[in-house]
Amino acid sequence: MTRPSGGWWATRRNRQFALIVCFLLPSLVVFFLYRLLPLGWNVILSFQAWSPLKPAQWIGLENYAEMWAYDDVFWVALKNTLIFIAASPLAIAAALGIALLVNSDLKGAAVYRTIVFLSYPLMAVAVGIIWRWMYDERGGIINYALRASGLTTRPIGFLQDFDWALPSVIFAEVWQVIGFYMIILLTGLQSIPPNLYEAAHIDGAPARARFFRITVPMLRPSLFLCAVVGILNSFGSFDLVYIMTNGGPGHATELLITHIYKSAFVQSKFDYAAALTVVQFGLLVILTVAANRAAGGNVGAVERD
Amino acid sequence: MATVSLRSVRKSYDAQEVVHGVDLEVADQEFVVLVGPSGCGKSTLLRMIAGLEDISGGEIAIGDRVVNEIDPKDRDVAMVFQDYALYPHLTVFQNIAFSLQYRGVGKADIARRVAQAAAILDIESLLDRKPRQLSGGQRQRVAMGRAIVREPKVFLFDEPLSNLDAKLRVQMRTEIKKLRERVRTTAIYVTHDQVEAMTLADRIVLMHNGRVEQIGTPEDVYDEPATLFVAGFVGASAMNLVAGRVENGAQGCAVILGNGARLALPASRFEAHADMPVTVGLRPEHLHWSHYGTPSLQGTARVVEPLGSDTLVVFDLAGCELQARLPPRLVRRAGDPVSVAIAPEAIHLFDPATGHRL
Ligand SMILES: Nc1ncnc2c1ncn2[C@@H]1O[C@H](COP(=O)(O)OP(=O)(O)OP(=O)(O)O)[C@@H](O)[C@H]1O
Ligand SMILES: [Mg+2]
Repeated sequence: MTRPSGGWWATRRNRQFALIVCFLLPSLVVFFLYRLLPLGWNVILSFQAWSPLKPAQWIGLENYAEMWAYDDVFWVALKNTLIFIAASPLAIAAALGIALLVNSDLKGAAVYRTIVFLSYPLMAVAVGIIWRWMYDERGGIINYALRASGLTTRPIGFLQDFDWALPSVIFAEVWQVIGFYMIILLTGLQSIPPNLYEAAHIDGAPARARFFRITVPMLRPSLFLCAVVGILNSFGSFDLVYIMTNGGPGHATELLITHIYKSAFVQSKFDYAAALTVVQFGLLVILTVAANRAAGGNVGAVERD
Repeated sequence: MATVSLRSVRKSYDAQEVVHGVDLEVADQEFVVLVGPSGCGKSTLLRMIAGLEDISGGEIAIGDRVVNEIDPKDRDVAMVFQDYALYPHLTVFQNIAFSLQYRGVGKADIARRVAQAAAILDIESLLDRKPRQLSGGQRQRVAMGRAIVREPKVFLFDEPLSNLDAKLRVQMRTEIKKLRERVRTTAIYVTHDQVEAMTLADRIVLMHNGRVEQIGTPEDVYDEPATLFVAGFVGASAMNLVAGRVENGAQGCAVILGNGARLALPASRFEAHADMPVTVGLRPEHLHWSHYGTPSLQGTARVVEPLGSDTLVVFDLAGCELQARLPPRLVRRAGDPVSVAIAPEAIHLFDPATGHRL
């Protein structure tokens, strides 16, 4: 081995830097090859007219203009995606309720905690199939229960009906992610020092005030972490929607992500899909940054004195 | 302003009893310190007074009112926690004002009272800060401010100084004493530090294993420790406790240590205990250097620890190992002769079987 004496290699700091780079390199390479490079290429592609086997042609903003002016499905998908996002506060509120229950002295809290969380590690495909069965018009357990209890007389086609389809898909998505929200919120709850509640109790704050003046502000970073996860999920729930409805009926459950998929791989409009992807990505960045800002820039952090 | 009465108060966690019947009367405006080793039940007792723990047996009264079943917020007590329990997301002002908001105090009144408390504690410049922007000592003051702004009937302190470094602790101890002159409210203060207890208390309650060992003024517990435990616990340097035997002979009453060292006892007090084996308690600061001529005990130094103002000498006396706090430079190194004497009144005798003072 030859080692240059003196020079760059001589200082300890530089040697450490070289070592750090060595350790980081594999993941940086992967990150570059599979994230940055496609993203960059995707942005370029969105300004081009291109289909496989044909040379690319620069067309400026034409893809975006088409999206804006002619693509009704884009607007439907955007609206549905935003509804998806808007549903997550409700899911987070429900998860907070469960977390509070599980965090109390409830008997068997550990069991409930596990049960609630169990849905999260399931594959979205499996969740989609389970819920498709449950929503089924003829054999589904939900329709069975509704009719058995006399709430309805005719079966509801949850995934076939234009009005029911989106809420039904959202419900399945919420069911899956609520366990994750709950674990995050539970961790947040458990990191609140109990003597804050004791101090507040002695100070005379009633239960409501203890919740809104201690629990909620102390949970703020956890709540916003859930919100960010909710936003990410709404953009990424491809597999669930694909399995349950494939965007249908009509485009009632079309999300940006399914629209992108169909544009690219069904209609082979890769250039147009690239433009859609850029829009979705931009939206995602804006929303998550906004959420992080709203949380005071410390999403997921634990506030202590 | 109120008295606090504890009448055979007990506490059990499941089947385990941790406080075994404590009786205590705290007078109006009195500052009582609960002191004892870790795990003796001081915090548990304090938390029962605050209402944070159920009372398993007995009765607690604040003023004339039995509070066993009364909610903490209606007991009119304020508590300072060991880790301060400041609300991290609220400013100092909001922290101090917190309790007033739930007691129907008007906005202007709140501002005035917070300002007043802040002035007393010298934290006026910190009112807009969040707790995490404060030093340990400043947080401590805010915690105090939160308590005094309420003007409660009783202050409860649970080791409020134990998270501070040694120097700041001494400083805050003095501050609490000063504060006490301005705000004369009944207070119960928990600590495991006997120096804190001695310096702050009107009366000390010594606890051990969930029982009260002794209640008395700092002088009482120092001069006349009721039990071996108290004798060992109170005092800047631990009391020497060695086995001995009472002898009532021609030369009067005396106690014999080890293989023959003889300490004269006050006349007549211990005659009834003649020939009884006893535990002898001698405070290191009461063993004084004896000059030529006075009757003295001769020993040999084993360890010499100069402290500047005085010197701690561990020495061997008739086969017993004793510690003495002597003036500096009299004993210089191990092996030097040690010659000490002790006043008969300063000798404590305990029954080794029961641990009680004779
Ligand atoms: N929630 C609880 N469940 C069971 N045992 C408890 C509980 N809280 C306290 N104990 C027990 O009660 C006893 C007294 O505890 P306590 O906290 O009052 O001690 P302490 O005197 O304040 O000690 P320290 O100086 O360490 O704070 C201890 O033996 C402790 O193990
Ligand atoms: Mg304690």
